[in-house]
Amino acid sequence: MIESFREAFGRTLVEIGREELKLVVLDADVKSSTRTSYFEKAFPNRFFQVGISEQDMVSTAAGFAIAGKIPVASAFASFLMRAWEQIRNTVARDNLNVKLVSTHSGFSDYLDGSSHQCLEDVALMRVLPNMRVIVPADAPSVEVLLREAVKLEGPVYMRLGRDYAPRVYERPKLKIGKASILRKGNDVLLIANGVMVSVALKVADTLEDKGMRAAVADFHTVKPLDEETLLRMASPVDVVVTLEEHSIYGGLGGAVAEVLSERMPRRVIRIGTTQFGRSSRDYLSLLDRYGLTAEKVVRRLEEVVA
Amino acid sequence: MSEAVFRLRNMLERVNNFHLSSSETCLDILSAVLERKGEEDVVILSKGHSAPAFYVTLHEMGFITWEELLTFADIDGLPSHVARGLPFIEVSSGSLGQGLSVANGIALAKRADGKGEKVYVILGDGELDEGQVWEAAMTASHYGLDNVIAIVDRNYFQLTGGTEETLRKEPLADKWRAFGWTVIEVPNERSAIETALDYAERIKGRPKVIIARWEK
Repeated sequence: MIESFREAFGRTLVEIGREELKLVVLDADVKSSTRTSYFEKAFPNRFFQVGISEQDMVSTAAGFAIAGKIPVASAFASFLMRAWEQIRNTVARDNLNVKLVSTHSGFSDYLDGSSHQCLEDVALMRVLPNMRVIVPADAPSVEVLLREAVKLEGPVYMRLGRDYAPRVYERPKLKIGKASILRKGNDVLLIANGVMVSVALKVADTLEDKGMRAAVADFHTVKPLDEETLLRMASPVDVVVTLEEHSIYGGLGGAVAEVLSERMPRRVIRIGTTQFGRSSRDYLSLLDRYGLTAEKVVRRLEEVVA
Repeated sequence: MSEAVFRLRNMLERVNNFHLSSSETCLDILSAVLERKGEEDVVILSKGHSAPAFYVTLHEMGFITWEELLTFADIDGLPSHVARGLPFIEVSSGSLGQGLSVANGIALAKRADGKGEKVYVILGDGELDEGQVWEAAMTASHYGLDNVIAIVDRNYFQLTGGTEETLRKEPLADKWRAFGWTVIEVPNERSAIETALDYAERIKGRPKVIIARWEK
């Protein structure tokens, strides 16, 4: 079942807004694309448009947080990163209760091409003190994790794709900071987040046909990373594979490699990108081109593990 | 020389005159604003490098001692740029161009809650090079934020030289007016700034900016 990240985001915001009256939503003229337009329709007095100015949006959100509101500021991941310095110097440094939600991350804005395809944001956010970084796997995960993020005090960066979101969970019981174990196995460990969780499950199926039992975990929270679950799951295996729709530098793969190299050395194979994206008429052909489909991942693993 | 200027020079002698000039020109603005500020009003020092002037003003108001002033920029002392947690400081600064946006967020939240308090934001003239200031100027004007009062420390200097040689600001008042703000231009001295603040508070429906020109 395929649902949409942004639809889940837009609809859940409205549901949270009914109960949490301190919730306000800020937009930089992308509300119809991010689906925060649903919130504007439901609560016009709690929706604030600042125009095409992500930097102003982030600092204005900081002001709302200082005044006791719970601001959600949303834009395409690529353009939200334009406000990295505002996020660093105001939101993160002052540990303000600002929720930053990006949409159209990874390759999901396939048609718009490399300017719009953000493959660096997890690294940029993960490096910031106080910041939590969350990458939900599917639409039901967005619902659960967004509710949790709003309840938490302090800054959160939530990274969402656009529409393509194969369902991983029926009724997910997810907690920020706690990895979700989806499959057990002692031959290889697959660690993924975002859309790549569904890919990792397919990879595990294929590997099982070849007689290899793969464990799969959804590390939706990249920061703080659930180190205990990582170490427990890595302990029986020789090879840990990370899968993310993001650069292999500084994202989930980087985080996992950092922890394992220090605490439990294992061979880590990072599946992700090292280049900018490109425009395409459909999303899946981009995932294929960059080696992020189940078939390509299996082939890569056969090459490097054999 | 006023006692405040004397103290400022004395405390900054030890730290290579850290932002001395831009602190001197900020003294009257800070004292006028901080003494006027109501309990729930908010002051944002967007030009956070004028922290020395802010600490001297706190000292004059009796919030910190002379000994504390002398800890300026010491590793466990007063931070070189203002930081959240200090008296009156709601948001850390040091990186230019962000204070007006933060002021707008606070002002919008207060208005949404039906509160009438004001948000004062102190900007440098060099700081106006930052594009974000003008993004925020548009936002304040779009929402008719009459609870936002900006004060520009118009001292005609920025880090590497004169403001007009570095990047021309004039016609500065016209720029703000074109963005939908009411502009009040005054000499940068205590009584003139107070009069300007009185006047600014009476104007409804628009954000206001006081351009305090250093004429000494």
